[in-house]
Amino acid sequence: MPRAPTRSFGPSGRAQRNLNRRAVLLNGALVGNVRTEQFGVSARVYENGVYGFSSTAEYTDETVKDVLKAASENAAFLAKHAGKGKGPHKAMAPNRIVTAYDLNDLEQRTYIEFAQALDNHIASKYPDLVSRTVVITCDSMEKLLCVSNGCDGHSIMPRSYIYVMMTAMGADGKPVELYKVIGGGYGTFDRNYTKPEDCFAEIDGLYDRIQQKAKDGVYPEAGTKTVILGGILSGMLAHEAVGHTVEADLVIGGSVAGPCLNKRVGSELVNLVDFAHTAFGQPTPLPIYVDDEGTAATDAVLIKDGILVGYMNNRESAERFNMVPQGNARAYLFSDEPLIRMRNTAVLPGKSKLEDMIASIDDGYYLLDTNNGQADTTGEFMFGVTFGYEIKKGKLERPLLDTTISGVAFDMLKTVDMLSDEMIWASSGMCGKKQPMPVGMGGPAVKCRVNIGGR
Amino acid sequence: MIESLKKTAQSAVSALQQAGADKAQANVSYAITHEFNVDGGEFSLFRTLFDKQLAMTAIQGGKKGTVAQNRYDEETIAASAKACLEAAASAQPDENWDFAPISQNEDFVLGEPKPDTDKLFFRCQELMASVKERFPKIMMEQMIVSHKETYSAKANSYGALFSTHEGCYEVSLMFSGHDGDKASSFFGSGVITDSLDKPFLELGSLAEDLANVEKQIETTVVDGKFEGTMVLMPGCVTSLFYTLLSDFAGEQGLLSGTSLWKDKLGEKVADERITISLAPLDERIVCGERYTGEGFRAENYDVIKDGRLNAFALGLYAANKLQLPRGRNDSFNVIVAPGHKPIADIIASIDKGILVGRFSGGQPSSNGDFSGVAKNSFLIENGKIGPALSETMIAGNMADMLNRLRDISAEQVVDGMMVLPYMAFDGITISGK
Repeated sequence: MPRAPTRSFGPSGRAQRNLNRRAVLLNGALVGNVRTEQFGVSARVYENGVYGFSSTAEYTDETVKDVLKAASENAAFLAKHAGKGKGPHKAMAPNRIVTAYDLNDLEQRTYIEFAQALDNHIASKYPDLVSRTVVITCDSMEKLLCVSNGCDGHSIMPRSYIYVMMTAMGADGKPVELYKVIGGGYGTFDRNYTKPEDCFAEIDGLYDRIQQKAKDGVYPEAGTKTVILGGILSGMLAHEAVGHTVEADLVIGGSVAGPCLNKRVGSELVNLVDFAHTAFGQPTPLPIYVDDEGTAATDAVLIKDGILVGYMNNRESAERFNMVPQGNARAYLFSDEPLIRMRNTAVLPGKSKLEDMIASIDDGYYLLDTNNGQADTTGEFMFGVTFGYEIKKGKLERPLLDTTISGVAFDMLKTVDMLSDEMIWASSGMCGKKQPMPVGMGGPAVKCRVNIGGR
Repeated sequence: MIESLKKTAQSAVSALQQAGADKAQANVSYAITHEFNVDGGEFSLFRTLFDKQLAMTAIQGGKKGTVAQNRYDEETIAASAKACLEAAASAQPDENWDFAPISQNEDFVLGEPKPDTDKLFFRCQELMASVKERFPKIMMEQMIVSHKETYSAKANSYGALFSTHEGCYEVSLMFSGHDGDKASSFFGSGVITDSLDKPFLELGSLAEDLANVEKQIETTVVDGKFEGTMVLMPGCVTSLFYTLLSDFAGEQGLLSGTSLWKDKLGEKVADERITISLAPLDERIVCGERYTGEGFRAENYDVIKDGRLNAFALGLYAANKLQLPRGRNDSFNVIVAPGHKPIADIIASIDKGILVGRFSGGQPSSNGDFSGVAKNSFLIENGKIGPALSETMIAGNMADMLNRLRDISAEQVVDGMMVLPYMAFDGITISGK
């Protein structure tokens, strides 16, 4: 990575490198074997309430001048035709936050051989599967940031994950599927995975679940039901159904959170925070120390004791809402402008034991796995559910086939009456909002009422 | 620029061969993007991006590796060739990897390669003013309008050498309806065009989509559960066909062996009124693909013709492995043949059902089952479009649904990427509270 440009760089400049390494085995065949790198520099200029931006895929003294000139010209054009009569952003104390280190960029054979070992285990032990897929994906994002008003930074964010997907034949002759992220998280592959054998127990657990689903799976009964959302689903709820509605740009765009600030949006058990780099005394799944506008990152408390108390902001929206920016402006590639994004968003755990939560339900469902989730700026959400159990008279019963749950976040959160004392984090996915972005999300088991789709 | 890129692509292929590749391919491109953004109803950003891309793929002894960078100087090409061969060396051999063996080389110029940035900004301002005047309850959450000029070249070791110089304008809108504290669901709509002659609001279904969303501020909830007819608006048809083309007729479903259609080539899989084509060369498609990722010239083809499965959407590797014909292009330029009745007549024939603008659902299973929330949707009762709906779920099976077609509209929406009619299907489970 080249050295940081000087302060004469201008209002905001960023050099960045994104790496991605990927190996995909489908039924033993290597159908994906790719290494990519995206590297370049960008500049952003603020004038009269609007931004100019430019980027190029080369990082030299000359190209730095070129992108700064182009960004300045773009800002001047837009300021002239659509300026908002605004002055510069509030001054910020300068600082330099460095968390980068040299990345261990492994050879491709490391990923392929590891994936083959996992695939051999699955193929030899579970020959009855219709199909199996093993994916190893590792990405990293190194940023060198220089701003004229705020913190400079040099950061790196490596992630690595293994996905295993299985398809089995269902009792009705139609295929059923499940997937699982095996370990992984922040860090390079060699830091997160030592040897394939360490993954076998989780793979065996996935096979056990898909066998339950294939042999005994039933569709849930459609309607509004009492359910327990497992931590993966409550994390998705925190991110999709609540988090997006309290991103300040979406609030300005008319999200449901606009009229709800300082009002009750959940039961008094509900607390929701977008953590920056530390949560519960531990590093967050994907720690952020400085954002791409030069704001030192701090936690954004969004819901406290059921009351909506804040939004996630960039510097401009924070001034508009008279809030403090907390480091939520993030860009994915060097060629992307910073947008308001989540970091590590979580429902905070409560005090209940999971077994007591299950025992408290006479007729409902325990929902564990998901394959996707979407939400509206109205707070209406939909999550695909790929695995769970019926709860009858306080006990887990038959496994579930694929279904969908839906609800309106700020209505549904008011029905929360129990939260487990343990929580789960996930960080393997990408949030999509003009640009992709790695994010963490988490939560405890949450007892609540939702609509369930049945079939 | 084009000649320079073609030489770079050829030199990348040579570098791979010198590094030991039996077969090699390289794609090189240079692109300039101009983009205006509106956020929360106000202009916010003007971006200009200069980008390069280089992708190199090597096959050595049946082992394949790919490396992609966004630089293509000599040093990078040499380093990438080495990295590419190293990646390939780690793979297990598979004789099915290959590139297009026959070259029919050509240089293409598509769309409007050079932007008129001043006129583009004028069209943006005009669109914002028109929306404010004609659709006063609409909040433009985000508008992204861009022009991308791309020079690209592809070469492979069989002698394929293609190039394109292309450019088009893209309009992408995200908006919702508001009346006091009441709000509709958000909705996304967009078009691609190679001309700024017409106001954007006259293109695709933008005006109709805006009008529909204004009617969705007040909603009702379906009472209970019933089986009825689902009419998909053209923009919503896309989500259906993405699943069909990937899980049923595409590489994912066929290579994994989970496709319900794996043994049905040439057989009836849908109502005989359904014909679905992938047609990047259609004159209504803007800047459609001219050559495939593997170096074949792109051709239009029908995946489903008159209800029969006519072809699978397979790349060369999957086609070789499965001993099936390859798809004739890599595009997602879907064209669905129109029906004969106006959509108004189709709706007039429906006793009870739902008109769906957007489907928010879990990933449909490989068995075709789907369930999700009907967003931006209206109740249909006694042949008329009724109130907008919220918290309404729909469920069915994609494969079964294709054989329960009620009708296809004569009208088609052309948005530069696809050509789609309204489609009505019976036997869908619709449930509220």
